[in-house]
Amino acid sequence: MTFLLLCFEFAKIGLFSFGGGYATLPFLYHMSEVYGWFSSNELSQMLAVSSITPGPVGLNVATFAGFKTAGILGSFCATMSIMLPSFFFVLLVSKMLKKFKDSPVLNSIMYTLRPVCAAMLAAVAFRLFLESVVKFNNFSDFVFNNVDFKAFLLFVILLIFSLKIKKDPLIYLAFGAIAGILLHFGHLFA
Amino acid sequence: MKIKLSELFFVCVKIGALLLGGGYVIVPLLVSEFSEKRAWLSREEIIDFYAMGQCIPGIIAPNTIMLAGYKLRGKTGAFCALLGLTLAPFVAILLIASFVSLLLKSVVVNDIFWGVNVAVIILIILTVKEVWSVSIIDKLTMLFFLTAFFMCIFGISPAIIILLAVLLGTLRAKFLKGEAK
Repeated sequence: MTFLLLCFEFAKIGLFSFGGGYATLPFLYHMSEVYGWFSSNELSQMLAVSSITPGPVGLNVATFAGFKTAGILGSFCATMSIMLPSFFFVLLVSKMLKKFKDSPVLNSIMYTLRPVCAAMLAAVAFRLFLESVVKFNNFSDFVFNNVDFKAFLLFVILLIFSLKIKKDPLIYLAFGAIAGILLHFGHLFA
Repeated sequence: MKIKLSELFFVCVKIGALLLGGGYVIVPLLVSEFSEKRAWLSREEIIDFYAMGQCIPGIIAPNTIMLAGYKLRGKTGAFCALLGLTLAPFVAILLIASFVSLLLKSVVVNDIFWGVNVAVIILIILTVKEVWSVSIIDKLTMLFFLTAFFMCIFGISPAIIILLAVLLGTLRAKFLKGEAK
């Protein structure tokens, strides 16, 4: 039963997510809340791994989440299911390329869809920021001293860097990893 | 000249293995492998496929490479391209996922993930910024943005939010068409 549900949920992500790899994240957070296959903490670990291994982040997170839920077969199901709707769309769209590009209905849908996708991504960024930097879970047990100020500092540095120059995503990931290693050795010597 | 499926597959495996830092580098990789090295497609075609890959649901990089595969060898081509692209990342994730509990015992790895996680937040913000610049163009789109943001924060299923947006877009098209008449 888990496999069927897994396939169904990932096919749903494939059908409803627009706007790149991170667009699948709102669905995965929702999934972790509804089914408890993995915690949101595990999801941020998966996200970190998926960002530094080759391949599109969305696909990698799906593979990982599937593995977490139901082992190797689970990861296979998740990867295939998330791609299935896109595959059919590709077949459909390729046949009527011209019509698809100039369709007023499609243009109108993109007009409403794009801001919504941006908003869902912004909500994910907001949530990740709260979880991994501010260490905020809910109002009742929020402790100011829990705030990870080192993470906050790194965040601000990277943000300023991103405003000044926009480079390859790899640079940000490498910078983050190096900061992590430096922090590690800082701990050793402290 | 018919392109060999095996060659298509292996080129896509290579692209999948080189696709570092998310799916963004798919365009330069496709241009280099499909256009410059093999002259299968023109650069313009690839950029068109990328634009279209964003309009169909799912993940952009696989969408783009499937569209390219379809152009080259039809349905089988699209499927081959997808399998090829998926192979290396799939194996990499399986390997890491099998050892992740061991890896996480290592403090260094945890600290690396700590830094990478912060970097990922920045990458997501950059994506939002990019989408923002082409999508929030008037008061109405701003309203859509805010509504969807709070719906998402309050835990409404993303599928429902997307469905509502598609429905709204379709209704708007009908309305605009009626107005034009």
